[in-house]
Amino acid sequence: MASSGRRVSASRLRRALTPWLFLAPSLGGVAVFMGFPFLDVLSRSFRDAMGTRLVGLDNYKAVLDNSAFRLAAGNTVRFLAVCIPLLLVLSLSLALLLTKRAEIYGKLPADSGDRGGCRLIRTTMVLPMAVPAASMVLIWKILLCPEGVLNQALTAATGEPWETDWAFSPWAFPVLVVTYLWKHTGYDMILWVAGLQGISGDLYEAARIDGAGAWQELRYITLPQLGGTFCLVGILSLVNSFRVYREAYLLAGSYPDSSIYLIPHLFAHWFLNLDVQKMTAAAVMMTGVFLAPALAGRIVQRKIGREKIGRKKVRGGERM
Amino acid sequence: MKGRHRITGILLFGVCLLVWLPLLLMTAAAWMPEDELYWRYLSPLGLGRDQVRAALIPSYPSLAAMKELLVCSPGFFIMFWNSCIQVIPMAAGQLLVGAPAAWAFARFRFSGRRQLFGLYVLLMVLPFQVTQVSNYLVLDRLRILDSHMGMILPGIWSTLPVFIMTRSFETIPTELVEAAYLDGAGQWYTFLHIGLPLGYPGIATALMLTFVDGWNALEQPLTYLKTKSLWPISLYLPDIAKDKAAVAFAAALITCLLPVLIYLNCQEELEQGAASSGLKQ
Amino acid sequence: MKIYSGRLKRHMATILAAALAAGLLGGCQKPSGSGAESVSRQEGNGREGGSGEDSGSGEASGSQNQGSGRQDAMGRYGETEVELPQEAESQSLIQFLKGEEGNLELYTAVRDSSGNVEEAFRYRHLEGSWQRDEGWPGSQVMGDRNLDLMGVYYGQDGNYYLGGTDDNYIYHLMKMDGDGGAQEILEEVFRPGDGMDYGLIPPKIEVLENGNIVVYDYWEVYLYTPSGERLFSMAKDFSGTTSDARGFCEGDEFVTVNQGSIVRYSLKDGRITDTVDLSAVDDGRESAMVFGDGAGGIYTVNEKGLSHINRGGTLWEVLIDGNLNHMGMRSIYMHGFVAGDQEDFYGAYVGGGGKGMYLFRYQYDPELAAVPPTGLTVYSLEDNSTVRQAVAQFQSDHPETRVEMRTAVDTGGTVTEEMIQGLNTELLSGKGADVLILDGLPVNAYIEKGVLVDLSDLVAELESSGDMLDNLLEGFREEDGAVYQVPAKVGFPLAEGRPEAVEAYSDFDSMVAYHGEKPLMSIDNYENMLRKISRLCYEELFGKEIKVRDRAVLIRYLEGVKALGEASGCQTVFTEAEMEEKNVTNFVIEDGLTRGVIEYDRGMCDSETEKMTGYSRLSFPAEIRKINPGSVMKPVGDIYLPSAMAGINRSTENEDMAKEFIRCLLSFEVQKEDLYDGFPVNKKALEFLTQSDSRDNYSESAGYRDGYHLSASWPTLEERQEVAAMLETLTVPAIVDETVMQMIAEGAGDYFDGKKTVEQAADDILRKMSIYLAE
Repeated sequence: MASSGRRVSASRLRRALTPWLFLAPSLGGVAVFMGFPFLDVLSRSFRDAMGTRLVGLDNYKAVLDNSAFRLAAGNTVRFLAVCIPLLLVLSLSLALLLTKRAEIYGKLPADSGDRGGCRLIRTTMVLPMAVPAASMVLIWKILLCPEGVLNQALTAATGEPWETDWAFSPWAFPVLVVTYLWKHTGYDMILWVAGLQGISGDLYEAARIDGAGAWQELRYITLPQLGGTFCLVGILSLVNSFRVYREAYLLAGSYPDSSIYLIPHLFAHWFLNLDVQKMTAAAVMMTGVFLAPALAGRIVQRKIGREKIGRKKVRGGERM
Repeated sequence: MKGRHRITGILLFGVCLLVWLPLLLMTAAAWMPEDELYWRYLSPLGLGRDQVRAALIPSYPSLAAMKELLVCSPGFFIMFWNSCIQVIPMAAGQLLVGAPAAWAFARFRFSGRRQLFGLYVLLMVLPFQVTQVSNYLVLDRLRILDSHMGMILPGIWSTLPVFIMTRSFETIPTELVEAAYLDGAGQWYTFLHIGLPLGYPGIATALMLTFVDGWNALEQPLTYLKTKSLWPISLYLPDIAKDKAAVAFAAALITCLLPVLIYLNCQEELEQGAASSGLKQ
Repeated sequence: MKIYSGRLKRHMATILAAALAAGLLGGCQKPSGSGAESVSRQEGNGREGGSGEDSGSGEASGSQNQGSGRQDAMGRYGETEVELPQEAESQSLIQFLKGEEGNLELYTAVRDSSGNVEEAFRYRHLEGSWQRDEGWPGSQVMGDRNLDLMGVYYGQDGNYYLGGTDDNYIYHLMKMDGDGGAQEILEEVFRPGDGMDYGLIPPKIEVLENGNIVVYDYWEVYLYTPSGERLFSMAKDFSGTTSDARGFCEGDEFVTVNQGSIVRYSLKDGRITDTVDLSAVDDGRESAMVFGDGAGGIYTVNEKGLSHINRGGTLWEVLIDGNLNHMGMRSIYMHGFVAGDQEDFYGAYVGGGGKGMYLFRYQYDPELAAVPPTGLTVYSLEDNSTVRQAVAQFQSDHPETRVEMRTAVDTGGTVTEEMIQGLNTELLSGKGADVLILDGLPVNAYIEKGVLVDLSDLVAELESSGDMLDNLLEGFREEDGAVYQVPAKVGFPLAEGRPEAVEAYSDFDSMVAYHGEKPLMSIDNYENMLRKISRLCYEELFGKEIKVRDRAVLIRYLEGVKALGEASGCQTVFTEAEMEEKNVTNFVIEDGLTRGVIEYDRGMCDSETEKMTGYSRLSFPAEIRKINPGSVMKPVGDIYLPSAMAGINRSTENEDMAKEFIRCLLSFEVQKEDLYDGFPVNKKALEFLTQSDSRDNYSESAGYRDGYHLSASWPTLEERQEVAAMLETLTVPAIVDETVMQMIAEGAGDYFDGKKTVEQAADDILRKMSIYLAE
C-alpha cells in the first residue's frame, strides 16, 4: 500500500516536473537577462535619478504632470491606432493573396506559373526589413525633401510648383506611417504566413464539400483559425513600433514636427539628461496599459471558456 | 474568375512598385561614382538646394564604391564576421533554449503556465532604452561587457522567439502527438521527432526574424561594445557620412545580402506549413 | 522525418556556401587565419568599466615572436631618453636612421635666420655615445652646389643619398660615392615640367638593392630605374610632412598606408599583394608611421603606441602603450623610428615648430609592471589636444599609475547622441571614467543629478596659489557656491573695426541699429550669423536661463539677425556660383565665428570678430590695426569661450587622483604648450607665452582671388600683453544650449527666406522649445 502510494506520487512528481525540465534552460537565462533588468526598472521607477533614494510615487506624478509626456503619449496612441490596424490588414491581405493561395483554396494547381510571380513579390515584401535604416533614410529624403521626387512628380502632375518639405511639415505623420508600413509589412507577413500554415487543409476540404465559396472560407475558417496569430502579430507590431524612432530621428531630427513627437523621442531625451527615473516610471505605466486589456480579455475568456476547456480536457486527454 | 485574378494582380503589382522604388533607388546609388551621386542628390545630402535628379540606372556605372568596400576596407569584413559571430550563435542558442520552452508552453498544462507565458510576453514589450541601464548592470556583473558574449547571451534569452514558436507548436494536431505517446515515445523523443519537424515553420520564422533583428541591431552594440574591433556590420557608417555616401550605399546593399539569402533559403519552409508537410501521412 | 532532415541538410549547405562566399571575399584580404581570430581581443584585464577603444592595449593577445611570456603582470617596454650631442641643442634634426654596419646615425643642421641650412653634421652612435663624424663630406657636397639639405638616405645598395633643394626650390638627389665625391641622379625627374614653376619635391627617397629608386610624392610613390625611367606608381594616403615615414621598402616589397589600411605592393609590378586592417591601432587621426621588422612583419607607431603584426597575421600585438610615454604627447612630434638590435626601438621626435629634438630608447624591462596597477580614466566626447597633453604629462609624473584617455567620437564624428547615451548608461550604473571632459555633454543634467563632484575646494586652492586667472574659473561658480567644472583653455571673440562699429558690439540693439558706410559684419550664411550673435550677445539673449524662451526676446533676436543679415547680404543657402563669387560657404560651425577680421581689411564690412584661441590668431588683427589707422580692437563684452572643461565623476574611487589630474591639466607644464586650442587659464603659463619670443620669424599670409593679399608676422610683445590683459577682464562663459540653438536655426530658415512671418517662425520654434523645456 505504502509502496504503491509512493510510486503513484513519484510518477505524478515526474509528470509535474517534465514541463519544468523543458522550461528550465530558458527560465534561468530569462530570469537573469530579462527578469532582473525588468525588476531593476521597476525599482528605479520608485527612486531618484541615480537610484540612491526612494521617492515613492513622485516619479509617476512627475511623468503624468509632464506636458511633454502627455503630448508624446497622445501622439503615440494616435500613431499606433493608425499604424497597427493598417499594418495588420495590409500584411494579412498580402499573406492571404500571396501565400500558397493555390494550396489553401485549391483554385490553382500547385505548380502553376503564378507561383513564381508570387514568390518574387513575397521576397520583395521582405526586403525592406533587412535594409539598414541609415541608407533608407537618405532614400526617403531623396523622395520627400523640398527638391525631391515627390514634389517633382506633383509639380509635373498639377502644373503648380510644389516645395513641401514633407518630413518637417504636418505631413510628417503620414510620412512616418508610410515608412513604418514600408518597413514592417514584410515582417508581419512572414508571421501571418506561419499562422496560415497552422490551419489544417482538412477544414478547407470539408468546407468545399459543403459548397462554401472563397469568401465564406475566409470568414468562417481562415480568420477564426488565425486568432492566435492575430494576437502574436499585434503584440509584435506594438513592440516594433518603438523602432520607428530610428527612422523618425534620422529623418526629422530629435525634435520633429510636434505631430510625430513620440514616446521614444521623449525617452531618448530623458535618457540624455539622466532622467531614467521618469523614463522607468513611464515605461512601467505603459506596460500596465498593455497588460490591462490582456488581463481583461483573459478574465472574460476564462469565464466563457471554462466549460469548454473542461470538456476538451476530458475528450482530448492531454497527457502529462 | 480570371478578371478578378487580373485585378488583384494589378493591385499587387502597384504595391510592389511602391516597395521597389526606394530599393531600386538605393541599389542604383550603390553603383554610382561619387561625383554623380553628389550631382544627383546634393539636397538630400544637405549640401545644397538643387533639384534632386533621381535615377534608377546610374549614368556612369562605377565599381568604385564596391571596390573600396570589398578590396580596400578590411574593416568591413571584420565587422561582417563580427556580425556572424554574434548572430549565428544567438540563433542557435534560441533553438536550443527557446524551442523546449515553447514546447512546454504549448503542449503541457501546468499550474502557473499562463502567468509565466504572460510574463514572457511582458518582458518582450519593454523598449530597449528602458532596460538599457539595467542590462548594463547585468552584463557588467557577468563580466561580459564589451565582448561578443555580451551580445550573444541576452539575445539567446530573448523571449520573442519563444512566443512565436509556442504559437507554432500549438497548431500541431493533438492526434499526432497522441499517436507518438501511444507508440511509447518519451517526452523528449516526441519533442525532437514530432515537435521540431512539425513546428519547423514557426521555428524558422522565429529564427529568421531574430536573425534579421540581430543583424540590424544598433543600440545594443553601440551601448555595450566599446572596442571598435568588436563592432558588427550594422555600425558600419550608421549615419551616412557625407563624404562616404556611395560607400555607405554599397555597404547597405551588402549588409542586407545575407539576411535575404537566408530568407530565400527558408522561404519554402516558411510557405509549407505543418499542415501540408509530408509528415501527415 | 527523412524529408525534414534531408531538407535541413540542403539548406545548411546553401547557407554554408553563402557564408563561405563571404568568407572568401574576406579571406583574400587576410590570407591566413579566419576573421574570428583576428578580432578575438578580449577585455578582462580586470579594469573596471571595460577598456576604452583608445587604449585597447596593455594586454598583448596571442603574442608572437616578440611577446612570449609578456602577458604576465610584469614586464613591458620602458622609455629612456638618449642623450644627444651637447651641441645639437642649437641644431635641427634632418634625419635619424640606421646606416652602414647597423649603426645609428643622426643628421643635424645649423640653420641661418631664414631657415636655410648653413652647415650639416653627421653623428654616429658608437659604444654608447655620439661621435661627430668629422670626415663626412655631405655638408660640403651640398654646400658646393648651393643645395639646402632636406634628407639623408641609406640605400639597400649600400650607398648614401642626399636630397635637397636649390634656390629655385628644385630638388636634387646626390648619390655619394664613398670617397667624398657625389653624383647627381634622376635630374630629369625633379625638374619642373613645361610651364611649371615647381617640380616634384619628394618627402622621402629609398634606393633598392638593384639600384632602382623609390620616390615618394604626397599622394603616390613612384619607382624609377637609375636612368630615370618611371616604371610605375603606387597610391598611398596623403601625408603632408616633409619627413614622411609612412612607408618602407623591404626586399622586393613596398609597404605603406593607403585608404586607412596597410598595403603591400610588389616592387616587381606595382600590384597590391596584401592589405592589413589598421583600424585596431589607428583610427585615421594619428597617421601611423610604419617600418619593417626585417622578417616580413610590420611595426606601426603612432600616439597610441607601437604595435607589430606578422606577415599574413591578422592580429596586432601592442608592444608599447603610447599612453605610458612620450608617444602620446601632443607637444612633440614623431620624426623617425628605428628598430634596434637588442629587441629595442629608438624614436626621434621634434618639438613644435621644428625646434628641439629628442631621442628615446624603448627597451623591454622585465622588472616593470606590465600595466601600472591603479588606473585613472579620462573621458572626452571628442579628441582634445590639451587633455591628451595633460594625460601624457600626468603619466610621466606618475609612472606607477596608468592613465587612459577614452574618446568616444572619431574625427568627423557621428552618432554623438548614442555615445552620450552610452556614457550615461555607465554613469547611471555608478561607473564611468574618473575625469569627464564635459565639452558637448549635458552638463546641467549632470550637475542637477549629482553626477559631478563639487570642486570648490580645489578651485579655492588653485586660486589661492595665485597662479590662475581667477576670473575664468569663477565663471563656472553655481549660485550655491559650488563649482563642478573647470576649463583648461579659453578663447574669446575679439572685435576689430572702425571705432563706432566696435562700439556697437556693446549690446544687441546697437548692433542692429548700426548704420555705417558698410555693414557691421561681413556676409555669411544665416545659420552662422544666428550662432555668432548667440555668442556675442550671450547675456542678453541666452544666459543660463535661456532668455530666448520668451517670445518677445526670440522675435527681437530673429528680427535683429535678419536686419544684420540683410545689411551684409546673408542667405540661408548659397549656390555653388554664389559661394565662388562671394567667397562664402554653407558650412556651419557651432559658434558661428567663421569669418575673421580679414573681411574688415578687405573692405567688406566696418568690423568683424576674430576668435582668439592663441597668439597665432592675433597676427592678422594686429597687422590690420597697423595698416588701418583708427581701427580699434577689443573683446566683446565679458564673453569667453571655454574648452576642455573638466569635472570629476562622483562615483570615482580615485577622487584624489582625479583632482591631481585636474591640477596637472591646469599646471604650468601642460598649459604653457600652445596647441592652438585656446589661451591658458594658468597665469604663469599665459605670461610665459606672452613673453616667449621663440616665434620671431613666424609669418602668416592670406590671399584672395581678387588679388587681395595680407601677410603678418608674430604679434609684438606689446600686442600680446594687450590681449593678455583682456583675458583678465572676461567673466562670462558663453555656453549656448545646442538643442535650443538647433531648434532656432531650423525654425528661422523659413523666416529668413521670407516664407514665414517672424511671428509664425517664433511660434514654431517656441512650440518645440516648450516641449524641450518641459521634458
